[in-house]
Amino acid sequence: MFTGIGQTSLGVLRALAPLVVLFVIFQFRFLKLPKGRIINLIKGVALAAVGLVLFLQGVRVGFLPAGEALGEALGLIGTKYLIIPLGFALGFLTTWGEPAVRVLSDQVEKASAGSINKKTVLVTITLGVASFVALGMARTIYGFPLTYIVIPGYALAIGLMWLSDKEYLSIAFDAGGVATGPLAVTFLMAVSVGIASAIEGRDPIIDGFGLIALIALAPILSIMVLGLIYRTRLRKIMSSIIPGQEKE
Amino acid sequence: MPERIKNRALEVVKAIIPLVIAIVVLQFTPLQMPASVFYRFLGSVGMVIAGMILFLVGIDVGILPVGEAVGNELPKRGSLPLVLGVAFLIGFTATMAEPDVLVLTGQIHDVSGEAISDNILIIVIAIGVAFFVAMALLRIIRGFAMKRLLTIGYSVVLGLSFATPREFVPVAFDSGGVTTGPMAVPIILALGLGFSSVIAGRSALSDGFGLIGLASIGPIIGVMVMGIIL
Repeated sequence: MFTGIGQTSLGVLRALAPLVVLFVIFQFRFLKLPKGRIINLIKGVALAAVGLVLFLQGVRVGFLPAGEALGEALGLIGTKYLIIPLGFALGFLTTWGEPAVRVLSDQVEKASAGSINKKTVLVTITLGVASFVALGMARTIYGFPLTYIVIPGYALAIGLMWLSDKEYLSIAFDAGGVATGPLAVTFLMAVSVGIASAIEGRDPIIDGFGLIALIALAPILSIMVLGLIYRTRLRKIMSSIIPGQEKE
Repeated sequence: MPERIKNRALEVVKAIIPLVIAIVVLQFTPLQMPASVFYRFLGSVGMVIAGMILFLVGIDVGILPVGEAVGNELPKRGSLPLVLGVAFLIGFTATMAEPDVLVLTGQIHDVSGEAISDNILIIVIAIGVAFFVAMALLRIIRGFAMKRLLTIGYSVVLGLSFATPREFVPVAFDSGGVTTGPMAVPIILALGLGFSSVIAGRSALSDGFGLIGLASIGPIIGVMVMGIIL
């Protein structure tokens, strides 16, 4: 369980050191924060370091091997297309549980002044991510390039962007990160790498990676589409109440 | 403070429970994993939860307030190049410590049979984030449209995806996805919000947001360029 924890710790120190050095320089050059804040900084960095060691070690000995084992078992089953609905289910479960997605749903409700219900946002993003995980699994099984999904996906995102209102636009692009929480992502990534290494003729690097990118793309598209649907609906209601409103 | 720990703990546990249940259920199907792997997974759940809680609390208590202080002080004190330089450094160092980035790069290193160095990859991703964080702040200062910057950024991404060797494409796009993790997001947001509120005439809401979206373009471009050079 704890084998290699020394090396993990060393990695964490190396990862945190630059940030700490930067803060120390700032402190002396211009911040000059009171002593209490500095003590808090030291406490915070120490907590974060210990936490990061535990997290990375747990991911390394538990999550990644389990994800890869599940992926390999999936890659070996006869009816490969069954992986696609399973991917949908895994994507659904992990996104539904992700707290950041709920925070974002609140944010969208506020930005729309209540006209977009937060439950609607949550369901849309969750279904969006689940569909994209399913699509990602299909890609890994059948081995078509990631670009077939990602290029039309981002082209669509750019197109939608020019149609969307400013508030939705910023929220949508920031939302790319909400579903890619560290727990779900490490696991799903390992599953798809496992599948790719178990299926004959698939390259784990080319066919196994790419899932995180899809999980990041799904909420961007979901939110902009939601924003547009609601705007059109709002216009229709307005024009039915006040004739001639449609022309603007 | 204990309230904050409780909230963070709840957040982490909620995020992980559905996955754990799914794995336990699957263990009773033909998809079961070897018993030793399964038990180690169960054992690691506690470790991962404890680790993530400590990490998040650590960021809340110590790191984020300093990030906010920098965001508030910087635009008052420095000249434009200094401000952008500091934004670059903060984006760079925060990404170096991002858990998702560490996991992804480690995984790529292992799966590629050590052909792609994780250390170089981390640095490339961090430079990508840093560059776009600086660009995003420049956008706030100069007040040009988010849409234009996003369109240019993603057009470059789409163009490069044809030019880079195909084994780098998935890795590059994944690198863009992992930068938006628990370390980089709050620090970059704190920086951006501090900035927008100090610079007069900019609304914190619509100008501060969008930073994260821009920050994840950088690593995609960085890794694709790395693929072309290597």
